[in-house]
Amino acid sequence: MRILICVLMLSTSFSALTAEIEQASSWLSALSQTLKTRNFSTSFVVIKNNHAEPYHWFHGVDETGKELEILSLLNGPRRDVLRKNNIVSYIEPELPPYSVETFQMSGGPIPAIFSGDIIALEKGYNFISLGKSRVLGRSAQIIRIVSKDNNRFGYRLWLDQDSSMLLKMSVITREGKVLEQVQFTHLEFSTDLPEPLKKLQVADMPPVIDVPESTVNNDLRWKVNWLPNGFKKIRSNYHRLSITKQATEFLLFSDGLVDVSVYINKSSVKHRAPEFVMNGATGVFNQVVNGIEVSVVGKIPSTTAKSIADSVSLLSFHKKR
Amino acid sequence: MSEKKFETVSSFVDDVIIHDESIDEIIKDKELSDTWGRYQLIGDIMRDDVPQTLQLDLSAKIAAAIDDEPTVLAPKNTAKIENSFKAGIINFVKPLGQVAIAASAAGLMVLGVQQNNVVQTNDIAPMQNIQTNPLIGIAEPVSFNYQQPTQMSKKQAYIQQRRLQALLFDHKQQIKLTAINTAETKKANTPVIIPLKDKVENLPK
Repeated sequence: MRILICVLMLSTSFSALTAEIEQASSWLSALSQTLKTRNFSTSFVVIKNNHAEPYHWFHGVDETGKELEILSLLNGPRRDVLRKNNIVSYIEPELPPYSVETFQMSGGPIPAIFSGDIIALEKGYNFISLGKSRVLGRSAQIIRIVSKDNNRFGYRLWLDQDSSMLLKMSVITREGKVLEQVQFTHLEFSTDLPEPLKKLQVADMPPVIDVPESTVNNDLRWKVNWLPNGFKKIRSNYHRLSITKQATEFLLFSDGLVDVSVYINKSSVKHRAPEFVMNGATGVFNQVVNGIEVSVVGKIPSTTAKSIADSVSLLSFHKKR
Repeated sequence: MSEKKFETVSSFVDDVIIHDESIDEIIKDKELSDTWGRYQLIGDIMRDDVPQTLQLDLSAKIAAAIDDEPTVLAPKNTAKIENSFKAGIINFVKPLGQVAIAASAAGLMVLGVQQNNVVQTNDIAPMQNIQTNPLIGIAEPVSFNYQQPTQMSKKQAYIQQRRLQALLFDHKQQIKLTAINTAETKKANTPVIIPLKDKVENLPK
């Protein structure tokens, strides 16, 4: 009898837990649906390193079902990302304007996967529904995206109770320290396309650039032997850093939410102590061991970055063993 | 003698003024002050002025409770032990943060001048803008869990700062280019122009 009660209690608590997880993931799929299908004009600020960067973000779907999107930084030199369906253009002070062929605006403050297949993150993360709160004058649902291991940061999202739209987002460490925050300051849905998107409809986009196959998957001499679960190689190549002109082997990994770059090159010094600096949630790890400089960049904790860097080995050497 | 004393106490309770010395005597003598207390209590009871629960000897109970209390010489700082890791980082970062801020400020100044010169002499050197732009992120040391480097010279610190910024910038650029490949499966067969490839990738032969 007692066992039966135990089993009953366990199963109810278990089903409550699964219900909670299901609830959280349905919130997240509702979010990506909203980001893909609704017409909205929003403003938000990104808070990191003790300063705030203001952005405008417009999204809409035209009569033919094509998505239009503008993300612009409002302070400092112009930094815009424009999207017309499958063409994304970057307007930045560092480079002449260029376009790439893709359906997602990458490198922005809001992870591109939020408007993509967000449920695919289930492999590496747990989704937890945390209850309600009030953000931007609306009642908001709090959802946590928590890494299944200790090697990644967690995300906390505040979603609008009515529209499932993102209202606030924090990137937090395991210890609960907030590294980066996105806070929406204005949100407006409309049936018509927002005005700036109408202009974008008729605007010409910068030329599309191509990344030759050779730069996508070069055979490199070095190999990264350890990565947190769920990270896959996106591409690897050999290129020069534009600022320092340092030639380097380059590998890019992603778990869907987080991108991690690994740079490996010869150094003029024999040894340099590890260094880790952070810009918001993005960490830059750098060390020289036996004349080989290894750097790891991405939104990951310092310990993870060091483990990745320490796992780098010569490929040929590795093969011999 | 003692009968007389009790009488004094009694008259004192009844508000009959007596000599100051006898008051002192009552206070000093334990028996007499107990008697004083009892007389007052009797008076209270007769006037029906007693609380519901009688604490006959509150002072003695409090004194006993204080005696029972363990003597705490120095409270244990458990919070500090928990946070020692964090505190370590903060202590670590402080001096370094100052160096880094100084270094990045120096970097901004130097490059600002360079960039102005470039603009005057040359039309395009867009890469030089990077350092002057705060959006690329002045990488600020936040946690620095590893070995502290031996005193870096200002120049070395600046070079290192620049190196880290170069990595951060390249990482951000590479993420943008990545999109192409993830979307490659959906790629339409539009002709591709490659005018900016060299600038974006700076590929070596």
